[in-house]
Parts: sequence; structure tokens; C-alpha cells
Amino acid sequence: MILASGTLLPDSHLPQLLSRLEQSLNETRGAPGLKVETVLDALDRLVCLLDAGALDGLIAQYAPSGAIEALDRARPLLTRDALEYKIHTELGPSGFSPRSRPFGHTQPMPLGVLLHVAPGNMPGLPVFSVVEGLLTGNINLLKLPRSDRGLSLAVLKQLVDTEPRLAPYIYAFDLPSGDAASLQALARLANGLAVWGGDEAVAACRGLAPPGCRLIEWGHRLSFAYLSGPPDPTELDDLARHIVHTGGLLCSSCQVIFLDTNSLQEAQAFCLEFLPRLERASAARSPGDAAQSALYAQEAFLEHIVDRAGTAGQFFRGAGCSITLGQDRELELSPLHGNVLVKCLPRTQLLPVLGRQTGRLQTAGLICPPEERGALTALLARAGVTRITRANHMSSSFSGEGHDGEYPLRRYLRMVDVEA
Amino acid sequence: MLNRQRLFWHRDPYDLAGTDHLFLQAAADNCAWHIRRCPSYQTICRETGFSPESLQSIERLKDIPPLPTLFFKRHALFSMPQWRMPMKVTSSGTSGHFSQVGFDWGCLFAEIPMVLRLGFRHGLVSPKPANCVVLGYQPNRHNRTGVTRTMYGLTWFSPPLRRTYALRWRDGSYVPDLDGAAQALKRFSRSPFPTRIVGFPSYLWFGLRRMKEMGLAAALPPGSKILLAGGWKQHFAQEVEKSRLYTLAHEVLGISEDHIHEFFGAVEHPIFYNACSRHRFHIPIYARVLIRDVHTLEPLPMGQIGLVNLISPLINGTPVTSVITDDLGFLEPGEACGCGISSPTLTILGRVGLTDITTCAAGAAQLLGKEAGV
Repeated sequence: MILASGTLLPDSHLPQLLSRLEQSLNETRGAPGLKVETVLDALDRLVCLLDAGALDGLIAQYAPSGAIEALDRARPLLTRDALEYKIHTELGPSGFSPRSRPFGHTQPMPLGVLLHVAPGNMPGLPVFSVVEGLLTGNINLLKLPRSDRGLSLAVLKQLVDTEPRLAPYIYAFDLPSGDAASLQALARLANGLAVWGGDEAVAACRGLAPPGCRLIEWGHRLSFAYLSGPPDPTELDDLARHIVHTGGLLCSSCQVIFLDTNSLQEAQAFCLEFLPRLERASAARSPGDAAQSALYAQEAFLEHIVDRAGTAGQFFRGAGCSITLGQDRELELSPLHGNVLVKCLPRTQLLPVLGRQTGRLQTAGLICPPEERGALTALLARAGVTRITRANHMSSSFSGEGHDGEYPLRRYLRMVDVEA
Repeated sequence: MLNRQRLFWHRDPYDLAGTDHLFLQAAADNCAWHIRRCPSYQTICRETGFSPESLQSIERLKDIPPLPTLFFKRHALFSMPQWRMPMKVTSSGTSGHFSQVGFDWGCLFAEIPMVLRLGFRHGLVSPKPANCVVLGYQPNRHNRTGVTRTMYGLTWFSPPLRRTYALRWRDGSYVPDLDGAAQALKRFSRSPFPTRIVGFPSYLWFGLRRMKEMGLAAALPPGSKILLAGGWKQHFAQEVEKSRLYTLAHEVLGISEDHIHEFFGAVEHPIFYNACSRHRFHIPIYARVLIRDVHTLEPLPMGQIGLVNLISPLINGTPVTSVITDDLGFLEPGEACGCGISSPTLTILGRVGLTDITTCAAGAAQLLGKEAGV
């Protein structure tokens, strides 16, 4: 399905739509433009509809099991207060108003047309990406992820129904992955290309964006927990719950638990202590999720003996979860779904080891004695981490936080200097 | 290796009790073969402490290391050189990863009696030529998926006059042509020969609805049949109750429920499971099925829901002796079915986890209902 000018169309309309898209976009850009107030009002009404359960049926039909929960967590970020705060944080007190300058003034303007290549690993993100584009007054072309199955289309349709003035600013396309030509055609019309996804998606979009088109990359990031000193048991339980709950699938999910030690014995002792906590967290899952984890635990075990044969390291197997104690110090993807890596990384080695991955780092869940927190936070920040949180908040969203070390709204704008 | 052939040439395809001994011997032979020839499999068996000699009773089958299908997607394992394998078959790999399974000559030789015996047993075989409509992929040398092979194979249960495909191979890619298939069905309804529809259940559902829309309802000649393979996985958002599909098939094509046959199998476990007259999959002698606990992977007693572990000594090319699929399911005693086949039935509830979101949710919902009912 395609969403264009507020109407849902079958995919067969794509060629026809593409042939006159440039003209439609120019007509929209020629109009006075989108007021941020209009967008905020519309989103406010959308949130009310969500609260009233208007989309619950759709969400239950199309989204994964945790989606309603994820939406509950995302909901505060879509309120008027939160969005106004976001604009204030990212653009300063003047927001979208002109700033007076010695030479005249500076006016923030939308980039123009934004093409969003959205991810499939988090329901709601395609819509959120479009919301950021709308707030900055851009026209948004959204390439839906393959796994979307209609949820984003339904939400966006609801949004343009509540505020028809947004209709010319939202296009969503369900392009098959093989249809490079159509994606290329969309990219040719874009002034900015926001890509979410793994290295492959990012590399593909680099090839796609014509010179002069701003590339905004929200690539996959890796996150980890850092433990120093004797940990508080509640924090360990929080960490275990986080690992099981996110399944390792988010950029902010803990992949490796780094221990501030050089001693393998200490690390073994930690694994033995942590495994039952991970098991307890795993036991609380739905049977489907538990089964998925058990399969991945078996897979992790087999890969440990087949692929890592010869390398030292130890495998701790739990019910529906596992811990692999690695002897190296690299930050890498864990076997996922409740299967996590543990490695030794004394703080003196933190900077050189993580420094190699700057640009890929995101969240560090820091567990340490209060008196150490300041020093370790500074060290992690220097190493390239962009979020430092408590163990239970690694994947929580904070109002006013940046995104992978940047303020997205700024990237979707350009500053126009006007001489008086 | 003769134990494998003896098992697959056994007279009664559902005589589980009578073939336990033979199955154990064939499984032990098969494991020993893979251990000798596939270094990775040897490592796995060594590390898990499994030795084929320990297969002394049917309960010990659980000791054969169960490999998740995911493992075959990430590792291409073979127990013989490529030139000794007449073909390699792959899973459909919707996520870009697919399993590769090597088929040896002995395996092909063993499949013949399996397919023929079950084909006769379930009334699939007919000497009368038939027009075939395949609601699936047209075979070509670039497509090595198991489901394409299976559907093509299914067209041979009666002499095929012609085949029309809903997914045609044109200039290097597949082009869907459901309308063409619908039109062909309309044409075939005027033919003196019966029609055989082979395909994905979801395609049949879409096709039938499309025919209804286009006003193409047609009574197919007597003896026409529908053979459904490839599972209900694709297009699961629109997943329908099977009974509604049967009703629609009767309404649009005049094919009654007893002429609709369903099959189950997997690339990593190409055993020919046939649905009985009550639409249940009884386990044939060529396989044994364990249901494993979703937390501990320990085998569960009959009736409980867990991960489906399929075991068969069919293949020497790739160590797929014991594979855990990402399906949740349960076993029930065959007698409870009432169709007359005594071997236990396997019910698949759906795929697990986040990758196949909706089926998981649907499966979980059924699962909860099931647990509440037990």
C-alpha cells in the first residue's frame, strides 16, 4: 500500500505516482509551509486517540507482542510538553523563530524533502522518524520496513485524517526490497536522506543519495554494561531483566557485560552469580519468547563449541538463557534473546579498547559504587559513549535526550542567513 | 546403511512400534556416518557426550544433539563431497539466510517408497491425467528451494497434462499471476480431465477470494483435488481458519473437504507428512518427533506444548538427523484422532519469537488457551 496526499492507494499506482511526484512536491513547497503549531496540535490529537484505544485493534493485529508496552513508554515523548521541550533543547529558546544577528537575521528552514529509510526492529520508529521530519516542516517520503505490515500506514493515515493540512507532507511507500529503481527515484527528489539500520542499509543509502543530498545516518549501535566494584544485587537483577526484556535487539541493549578486573576467576564467579538472576528474569517471559531464547541458547552453545573451538572461554548454560565468558576484550554483538557475553575490561584498558569502536557506541549501563560514578562516567564519555545510564534504564527514553550524540531536529534543518 | 533402506521400504508407513528397533539402528548408522565425515558434527557429539552406541532404546533418541534450523542457516555442513550429492536443496530464507541441505543418492532412493506408500495410502495416486495449477513457484535452475521441489513433485501423483504457475519465472525474477491461475481454473472446469491444485494455503485463500470477486466460480470435474504444502506461514496476517478455507474451496471450485490434502515437512527434515481424513499429521515410521520444554529443552510428555524436534535418519549429505524447528507444537495419541491411524499426531501452533511476529502472537494466544484447557 501507498499513502499519498492523505489517501491509501494500492501498490500498482506507484509508477503513476512517481511520474508526477516532483510536481506535487514543488506545489507543496511553493505553499506557505507547515506551522509547527499545526503539527503539535495534530500530534496531540493523535495521542488522545491512542489513549482512547482507537488503534489498539490494529496494534494487536500488526505489531509484536511488546508493542503496546513500547508504545506506553514512547507515549510521553509524543505529548505536546515533551515535543516543545525537545524543540527547546535542540534548537534553543528561539525554536523556529528568526534569530537576530549583527548582519540581519538567521532563519531556520526545513531541508525540503526528507526520505526516511526506516528500520524494522522497533515498531513505531518509522512514524517517529516522520514526526521529526514534520516538526521541522519537511515533506516526508517514508520507505516502510518490510516487517511493518501496515501499522505505520495506519497510524500516519490516522494522523492526516485528524489534520488534513499534513496530508501533502506525508508519503509512505511499501516498496519491495528488490525495487531499487523506485527508491532511486525517491532519493533523487530528496534534500535529506535519513537512514536507520545496519551497515548494509547505511552503505546502500550512501550509494543512493545524490551529491548535495544530506545523509543523516542512524546506524546500528552497540551498548554494554560496565561493572566496577561489588555490585548492588538489585542493580544486577535490573540488568538481567533489561537483557531478557530487550532480547539484545535494540541499539541500547546490553551486548557485553564488561567487568573492571583482569582476573578471570573473578569473572567466572560473576557469571555463576549472574546466571540464576538471568534465569529468573527469563522465566517471566511468554512461552513464545522463552522458546525463542531457548533456541538461541542452544545455538550459542553449538557455536561456542564449533566456531570458537580452540579458543579458551567458558559457556554457562541456564534455562532459556546463557552467558559466554570471553577471553578477549572486544565489544561485539551477543548471541541475543537472553544470551549475553561477559568480558574483563579493566578501566585502564577501557579507552584504547572502546576507542576503536567510537561511532558505533551508544549506551553504557554503569553499575559502580557512588563515589566512583563521576570518574567512570567521565572515562566512558571520553571513550565515545553517547548515553550513560543506570542498569534498568539502558533502553528507556529520556525527554530531552539527544540521539546517538546528535540533535536530530538540527540535522533536518538548514540555517538561512539574511542580510538586513 | 541398509538399515535406512529397510526402514524406508517397510510395508506399513504408520507402524511405529514395529519399526522402533529398525529406526534406532538406522539413526545410529546415520549419526555414526556424520560423526566420521563431518568435523563440526563430530565436535558437537564429542562435547555433548553423545555416541551412537548409546541408542539402545527409543527414549535415548533425545540424546542425539538437536541442532536448531538456525544453525544450518549459519553453517553449511556436509558429510560428503559435493560430487557425491545429486542435489542440494535450500529453505526459502525470507530473511536472507537459508539452510542448505545436501541430498545423497541413498536418500533419494529411500524417499521413493516413502512417497509412493503414503501417496497410495492417502489416495493421492490416480492413473487419470490431470490439469495442474501450481499456486507457487515455477521451477528453474536458479531456484533450489525445498518447497518448489515439493510442489513440482506433488504434480506427479497423476500424469500431468499441463502446469500453470501462479509465480512465473520471467527474465530473471518471479512475476505473480494469480489472475492467470484463476482464469486457468475456469478453463479447466470445462475439461474432461480432473484438475489438481498444488500450492501454498495462503495463495489458495487469496486465489479463491479473487475468483469469487471476479465471478469465476467453477465446478471442477469429479476427481479434482487440492494439495496444500508449504505451511500457513506466509501472509500470516491474513491467516484464516482452515474450515473457512475448505468452505470457500467448495463454494468456488466445488471441491469437497475430503479432496483437500495437506502436507508438512521441512528442508532440514524432508519427510512426507500427510494429513489424515481428520486433517491431523500422524507421524510416519520414517521419523520420530519430540516436543521439548521451552526453557530447558528437555523432552516433554505427550500433550504438552513445546519446541518441535524432528528426528529422521533419511539424509547422509548433511547432519540433519535431529533438528529443532522454530515451531511450537504438541503431540497427541493417534487413537484420539479417530481416523484409524494409530501413530501419534503432531499439531503445529506457529513460529516462535520476534521474527515472525503475528504467528507468535497467534500461537501464544492458542497456547494460553490450550494450557488453560489442560
